[in-house]
Amino acid sequence: MSSRKLLTGNEALALGALHAGARVITGYPGTPSTGAIESLLASQPPDVYVEWSTNEKVALEIAAGAAWAGQRALCTMKMSGLNVASDSLYSVAYSGVVGGLVIYVADDPGVSAGMCEQDSRGFALLADLPLLDPSSVTEAYQLTRLAFDLSEATGTPVLVRLVTAIAHASAPVEVGEPVPLPEREPQLLRDIARFTKAGAAICMQQHRDLIARLEAAGRWLRHAGLNSLQITDVAEGGHHPRLGIIAGGVVNAYLEEGLEMAARFGLDPRAVSKLRVRAPHPFPSEEVQALLRHVDTVLVLEELEPHLERGVYVEAHRLGFTGRIVGKLDGTLERVGEYDVRHVVRGIAAALDLPVPPDLFAASTEAEQLAAPRPITVCPGCPHRGTFLAINRAIRRAGYKRDQVMVTGDIGCTILGMNPPFDTVWNEVAMGASIGLAQGYVHAGVRTPVIATIGDSTFFHAGIPALINAVQHAVPLTVIIMDNGWTAMTGMQVNPGTAEDFQPPGGRRVDIAQLVPALGVEHFFVVDPFDLDGTTAVIQQALTLPGVKVILSRQECAIQAGRRGHRAGAVQVVPENCNLCKLCIMLTGCPAIDLGAEAVVIDPALCYGCGLCAQVCNRDALIHTPE
Amino acid sequence: MLDIFLIGVGGQGLLTIGEVIAEAATAMNLPVSFYPYKGMAQRGGLVKAQLRLGRATVGPNIPPRGADLVIAMEVSEALRAVRVLRPGGEFLLFGERWLPTAVMLGKAAYPALETVLEQVSAAGGHPVYLSPDSLPAGLPANLFVLGAAMGRTRLGNVLPAAAVEEAIRRRWPRNPEPNLAAFQAGHSISI
Repeated sequence: MSSRKLLTGNEALALGALHAGARVITGYPGTPSTGAIESLLASQPPDVYVEWSTNEKVALEIAAGAAWAGQRALCTMKMSGLNVASDSLYSVAYSGVVGGLVIYVADDPGVSAGMCEQDSRGFALLADLPLLDPSSVTEAYQLTRLAFDLSEATGTPVLVRLVTAIAHASAPVEVGEPVPLPEREPQLLRDIARFTKAGAAICMQQHRDLIARLEAAGRWLRHAGLNSLQITDVAEGGHHPRLGIIAGGVVNAYLEEGLEMAARFGLDPRAVSKLRVRAPHPFPSEEVQALLRHVDTVLVLEELEPHLERGVYVEAHRLGFTGRIVGKLDGTLERVGEYDVRHVVRGIAAALDLPVPPDLFAASTEAEQLAAPRPITVCPGCPHRGTFLAINRAIRRAGYKRDQVMVTGDIGCTILGMNPPFDTVWNEVAMGASIGLAQGYVHAGVRTPVIATIGDSTFFHAGIPALINAVQHAVPLTVIIMDNGWTAMTGMQVNPGTAEDFQPPGGRRVDIAQLVPALGVEHFFVVDPFDLDGTTAVIQQALTLPGVKVILSRQECAIQAGRRGHRAGAVQVVPENCNLCKLCIMLTGCPAIDLGAEAVVIDPALCYGCGLCAQVCNRDALIHTPE
Repeated sequence: MLDIFLIGVGGQGLLTIGEVIAEAATAMNLPVSFYPYKGMAQRGGLVKAQLRLGRATVGPNIPPRGADLVIAMEVSEALRAVRVLRPGGEFLLFGERWLPTAVMLGKAAYPALETVLEQVSAAGGHPVYLSPDSLPAGLPANLFVLGAAMGRTRLGNVLPAAAVEEAIRRRWPRNPEPNLAAFQAGHSISI
């Protein structure tokens, strides 16, 4: 019996894994993939182990271990996380799996979350792993179920890739029954030739096995009909060349709308043959050749890199196809951003030379340009506000200009210090990268102090090895760990440093305050970012000390503490003292402060009572009462 | 078929409007795709979402000049949705203002309400203005705006009010009353 539910792509994927009998599910939060594990932690399915791991590499190793012991396992991450996990991914791919192993990777064409527009289909190519590319929320459910069957049928890990427009979108999904998978006893398989990389003979044999598994996966996928070919004969003798469209993943969802629209400009939609690709790797050569044999012109529609399109050129060469191939490589379509119906119509128009008016979708941008700029900033009560203010003050008080002191940045909410009113942070690369980058600036000969900023989850994820490197090589550096106790930017996930009360049952907190001194850091300070003077003084002192200095700036995320009804205090305006100089707004940029007629106004619904505004006011117009 | 673009700022409950519509549509077996933008949205940051009703197979993104209806909850952010509106489409604007810091400091201009309405008309749209003063005290603005959209735009032709009320009751099973009251106040308002 099936039922119809409104699900996001992330929820559908998680449910697909659950219904396929996944027993171990791991991942690291990262937009747009986070919702999959979030939905499982919320529903707490019985007999399924679900965790947020320290980083994606650890998450993948846990899932792979479970799959080697014979269980079905799912591992989730965003595309940046696959880079982190890739070292283990290639090696596990060589060994293959016993139980089904599915790796969910979320790509972000159009950049909803500020990172590279990485096309993870390239990883499938590098790792010789099959990759499924669902074209809808419903397919996210169906193909994830199928991915476990494929994984076990061929003994290979399988990648399932969603893009943001599927991961975050909601649609009604026909949800089936869970597969009746018998309880599996874990197995301990000792097979050195398979599970180690001990020697060239073993590794090269594993490489041969890997290629054989990929070929088997290709046959399995052909049999499953995932890449559906629809050949039409209507255009025989028709009024335009025989057109074949190859669409990858989410672009398939725009085909119908695009064909309807192009029909207004002379397209006969019945005369178009279609290959809908949901399994781009291994490349569907037979289906593509079948299409090429039937058409004069091929249009390839896929977001980001021309993965399918390059394969089409190869098959065209093999067949001696002499027609046109329209896509990115001929300059018709671009490699940047999300696709929608515009790209379908533009592609068809180019392929058939249809008279589509160039301004069909051209909207005036005049209105947008009149909108007030609204840079993203930190929330009311955010402890990072205090840290950014203190860094800026400490730099000035130590006798430097702001543009003389490098402050490297990292991933997460701490990067919000790049924007006004703080303008504290200079750069952003990858998880944990701020501490390594800072060392590079020092070795480059920068004589002014170098500061690295990093969040708590990011520090656990990839910051610790870089800090160890700085200690080992005695690099003069000030590392500021901005610990708000949660993996906040992705929506408040628990990390190793989160308070004990919120750790999983029986789990333990790893306290950064104990960890850092144990790494051999001699100058270690703990500060409260809501104490602006105290935090400023410590940072200023650190800038004068030799060697590695670590400052742990610690206060819980105000959003998360606020959800439990907590407030740091309350702020009152003394209207007779306020002359509307706006210093509090200019320095803190706090959204809880508004302009009144004769004095600033504090919005009690937004104010967390951190008191930073009162500390920057020089007219006693704001009075802070701590909780 | 109806394509709806929602825009506002974080903290207004804009995405809840989309979720309630999507729930109501799903309960009626009306195909729906709901695609919220929630990248790095903080409280007070830009929030937008796309709703596509009535197409069985549909991609989540509405093309420029493709939306039949825009629901905007912030005066300045509304300007960013003008390019999405199709000529002849409706543009419901709830006239709340969330001033960015730079505006408060006098470093950036904030658009006048008339400018926004003119831009909507210039794009061939029909502006429908909903004053924040018309919101009954103590009721949530987002459900009020949803009610007004149901009562005053073509959204009301696609979804029956009863289906939306049912979705509201399912979403807040313990205390649906404030949200129902806000919805009904918006639904019955004459603009």
